[in-house]
Amino acid sequence: MAVSPLIPPPPHEAKVTDTPKKTEVNSTERLLHNQNTIPFFHSTNEREVTEQLNDDVRHKYIKDKRLGEGTYAVVFLGHLRTDPSSFVAIKKIKVNAEYKDGLSMDAIREVKYLQELSHPNIIALHDVFSSKDQNLNLVLEYLPRGDLEMLIKDTDIHYGAADVKAWMGMLARGVWFCHENFVLHRDIKPNNLLIAADGEVKLADFGLARSFADPYLNMTHQVITRWYRPPELLFGARQYSGVVDVWSMGMVFAELLLRVPFIVGNTDLDQIAKICEAFGTPTEDNWPGVTRLPNYLPADANHTLPVQGRDFFLRQFPTAGPVGADLLMSMCTLDPKKRSTACQVLQHGWWSSEPKPTDKKNLPRKTDGIKKMGADLTRRGGDFDDNTTFKNAARQLKFTVARD
Amino acid sequence: MAANYWASTQRRHWLFTREKLAEIRESFREKDKAAHSQFPLPDQRLLNIYFSQQLIKLGKRMSTRQQALATAQVYVKRFYTKNEIRHTNPYLVVTTAFYLACKMEECPQHIRFVVGEARGLWPEFIAPDVSKLGECEFSLISEMSSQLIVHHPYRTLSELQPELSLTSDEVALAWSVINDHYLTDLPLLYPPHVIAVMAIIVAVVFKPSQTSFHGSAAPLAGAMRDGGLNILAALSDKNGSGPPARIQRLVAWLAESEIDITAVIECTQELVSLYEIWEQYSEKHCKELLGRMVKTKNLDK
Repeated sequence: MAVSPLIPPPPHEAKVTDTPKKTEVNSTERLLHNQNTIPFFHSTNEREVTEQLNDDVRHKYIKDKRLGEGTYAVVFLGHLRTDPSSFVAIKKIKVNAEYKDGLSMDAIREVKYLQELSHPNIIALHDVFSSKDQNLNLVLEYLPRGDLEMLIKDTDIHYGAADVKAWMGMLARGVWFCHENFVLHRDIKPNNLLIAADGEVKLADFGLARSFADPYLNMTHQVITRWYRPPELLFGARQYSGVVDVWSMGMVFAELLLRVPFIVGNTDLDQIAKICEAFGTPTEDNWPGVTRLPNYLPADANHTLPVQGRDFFLRQFPTAGPVGADLLMSMCTLDPKKRSTACQVLQHGWWSSEPKPTDKKNLPRKTDGIKKMGADLTRRGGDFDDNTTFKNAARQLKFTVARD
Repeated sequence: MAANYWASTQRRHWLFTREKLAEIRESFREKDKAAHSQFPLPDQRLLNIYFSQQLIKLGKRMSTRQQALATAQVYVKRFYTKNEIRHTNPYLVVTTAFYLACKMEECPQHIRFVVGEARGLWPEFIAPDVSKLGECEFSLISEMSSQLIVHHPYRTLSELQPELSLTSDEVALAWSVINDHYLTDLPLLYPPHVIAVMAIIVAVVFKPSQTSFHGSAAPLAGAMRDGGLNILAALSDKNGSGPPARIQRLVAWLAESEIDITAVIECTQELVSLYEIWEQYSEKHCKELLGRMVKTKNLDK
């Protein structure tokens, strides 16, 4: 994959001082290597060719400072050796020192899909190399402008319907491309939507992604961060489609308009209750088959709410306008079979109605997003950010099966 | 299967020409002539038969999907285009390919379980220490430049079934032909849809008797030859009624499909020669040669 020359950030960004550690990593790596001379191979001299190739890739980049560290990866700022102004993010996946558990499913999934998917709205994987201490390093596109979550939360930033349309458009194209290639993202939320120097929104974190299962094969329902999780997953559906991501997109859309997360459940049950309160109670009438889902809970007979119509969406989201409200409604339909697909979302009339989406270079932006990129790229899929105010809401996902 | 084959890393980086493959293998031989003369190994295809049978044994113990086994076989092939087999412990490579393929095909198995089962099969070649497998997994991923998605012909087969109104017998037969093609270099040489079409032709046109398929494949080669001759005879028989309508339909479809017929024919020939060489296969022989190589060179340590 060719490395596109990246636009250098304004100078003040480059000196974000977060204990800038100069990379002594290389020397320690060498030390480790000496004690551990790849015992798996009988003789190492035969590996020259591939090792040389790997070294070539490794030497293409220089690691600068550390941007963030999470449980499963460390992210460094880096640049091309030949061009100090072309930045990249190097995500070093921590391989358990003793290889006790093999490589985590998250890492495998991320590499697997980013290697194949290339689209303007999906974070680009420029290169992969292994370092001497046998860590996997992903060289990712440098996205210095933070993520959508930052923009939503920053009260100093003002944005309007045209900006929301631009961001949603980029998100929808990225998601459509994934689905078109038979990949479910399964963790769409504002802090996985990073922003490039030119304002382009990029879908990141493929740690929970998977390809569509063959018909009748089960998948896990324990995916997607709770507030963005669709009702069918909360009810434990094991067979689902791309519209799970469309629901998450709808939640992002609502959050962009309201500037707070729309449906904030404290537990999975609470999340279901709040979805019912907002959109209506799922019944066999409005969602045939719902009562047969594994974790379906019958609603209180005295407390069934009718499914909300267009009026509700217009009232709740006046900034979206009638056409936008209609699109949002189609993305938040309870019955997954009736919910819009990513393709139908893109065909909606909202995109061509007034106002026109803002040109990406004129979109509101943050300038100190680079640290956020570090945090975003090191988080584990499905987790809430540790430093958000909603810390107590974070739940531990149990991936005993899915994550091996 | 995920993503688009035409833009895939498989198409861009893991398709070779026959010449290129031969060149790679020759360069391994050149580099370490001593090892090659000291440790002669059976024909690549016979080794593949051995590995695949070992993999199936391993997969059976853990009830794994066919797709994961297929992916594992492709991983082993890709790995040995970068590494000389005589410098590795093939049992460990096969086990690791299996472990990684299970994760890739979304049917993950725990590393301890895999090591445990592999040790049950080959106690003298697999160390109890799981870190060996973890380490080898890492090499495998690096050697394959972390390009891990493999596109298989099975999906094309299912897609073409209604289009060509294939009977369930024909599908089953084509399916096992696809299983067999992993024993050859074909997965490194041709795109999956070409393989699938080849499998369909073999199943529909040659119709080798089902019984001959498993275990000894020897009669199959003969059946294919005879079947082929019959078809040729029918085709050249200007006065007769020509080939059966069913085959005519397939031929018409092929003509319209713009598929690379030459490639399909080459695949068929590769398969025929596989079935021919299969007659020489001896599990014991492969096991002995590999065992001697691994033990003498201490590759299992």
